[in-house]
Amino acid sequence: MRMRKYLALTRAGIIESLQFRLSFVVMVIGNLLYLIVVYFLWKAIYASAGTDVVSGMTFSDTLIYLVLATALYNFMEMYAVWEIGRNIQTGKIVLDLLKPMEYRKLLFWSYSGTFVMQFLFTFLPTFIVVAIVTHGAIPMGINLLFFGLSVIIAVSINYSIDYIVGTICLYTESIWGINIMKQVIVLLLSGATVPIAFFPEPLKTIVHYLPFQSIYNAPLSLLLDADPQPQKVLTTLGIQLFWCVSMMILSKAFWKASLRQITVNGG
Amino acid sequence: MKRKGLCFYLRIYRKILAQDLKSKMSYRADFIISTLGMIFTNISGFVGFWILFRNFPSINGWSYYEMLFLYGFSLVSITPVQCMFDNNWSLRQQVYSGDFIKYCFRPINLFFYYQSEVFDIKGLGQLAFGIGTIAYSWCHIDIAFTPLALLKLIVFIITASLIMIALQNAAAASCFWIQNSFYVLDLAFRFKDYAKYPITIFSSVFRFIFTFIVPIAFIAYYPSLVILRPDEVPILSWLSPIIGVAFFFVSYKIWMHGAMKYNGTGS
Repeated sequence: MRMRKYLALTRAGIIESLQFRLSFVVMVIGNLLYLIVVYFLWKAIYASAGTDVVSGMTFSDTLIYLVLATALYNFMEMYAVWEIGRNIQTGKIVLDLLKPMEYRKLLFWSYSGTFVMQFLFTFLPTFIVVAIVTHGAIPMGINLLFFGLSVIIAVSINYSIDYIVGTICLYTESIWGINIMKQVIVLLLSGATVPIAFFPEPLKTIVHYLPFQSIYNAPLSLLLDADPQPQKVLTTLGIQLFWCVSMMILSKAFWKASLRQITVNGG
Repeated sequence: MKRKGLCFYLRIYRKILAQDLKSKMSYRADFIISTLGMIFTNISGFVGFWILFRNFPSINGWSYYEMLFLYGFSLVSITPVQCMFDNNWSLRQQVYSGDFIKYCFRPINLFFYYQSEVFDIKGLGQLAFGIGTIAYSWCHIDIAFTPLALLKLIVFIITASLIMIALQNAAAASCFWIQNSFYVLDLAFRFKDYAKYPITIFSSVFRFIFTFIVPIAFIAYYPSLVILRPDEVPILSWLSPIIGVAFFFVSYKIWMHGAMKYNGTGS
């Protein structure tokens, strides 16, 4: 079976992340603290606004949106840029390139174990807490299915973007700067810091033509939509799929063209 | 061993700094990209603020320009930790690999020598951005600009910066006791993002926590009240310089305590 070699990597990843139990505890604390800050901040913001609905979002909507965006971010952040960058600097990349597996896939599947752990220990608890705190403001129905589908596509888009940025490291040999730029752009333009619904008009339109909103905004708006219209769901997923495929092709082509650039110092 | 004076340490610091800058300059592309990344981060923070206040005119009685002042204040007050204490991030690896032992044999203060070894220039971009934000917001707030106010601002920013330094020192020092301290350090570093909000948005329990246990309210909120609300300065604001110094002293003791019990790895 072809999947088997990939699943072996997933298993190794799960075992590896079980080694660092303390880091999970600290991560959960960090997450909790973030939830508290976001909760109070937006509560104060809505209290000062005087109305319950601003730009079509209620307080619960905004809270769910932002908290789950962060949870998704923690879940999807694969540190692929760091991994590629470091592998280039240390020369380990040569060994990985020799393996009978595409480097792109190797990196993804090596990390997939952590995906599973992150999903179980950070995303799921956060989801449950938010669902309780907002007293069932998250509609529980067919939208959960769309949300799940959308997240899977989002993971792929996010990975492709990471991979493109990681490839840039082949040229620049700078990791921190490249990574922070990517992180900032993705977080702002995907609506993870301020929901896209609040963006002023020209910016909103521009953002809708960029791939970033497909990462967080698309799954979250599908989740918050209690009464999904088939047409809207299909457009959202369609746009996501378009970005997924085109970013994948782009990242593969870019990597292939750049591979000749690699210079490894010793190793 | 004779106690070395302040002049001696200043001279040494200048010499080490010059060496560090020379070695940084040999990676010019990395330096430029990192600086750009820093500027990006600050711009995106600013844009986030701007979008927020387009939807909400004020938050908890704080106007746009007042919040901006707070933001600028927090940026400037976390610059020293960014620039001068960046070596804390590699403490974990140095302790783990045993390289840390080399610092223990120098005839100068261990803490001073370790921290002076790295100076992170890209933090200066943040400093400039922060000062610009403060100046811009000050122009729009109805508060007179006097030399005394400026003096107050400088004194309170410098003492406020000690809080973040103290938090980071203590978090970094945890690696003397636990293995994977990266997450602790990362958690402490994320506190800086919460410093830019007025503490009044929190409920009383969290107000207490953020004031006395994890003192992030002293990074920007309490000290900036001295400028922003000159008529009703709470006692905690006047105390903030003392609290800054006290926390720094405690963190220094923790750091040194950990370093003194360090045995090396035997290699």
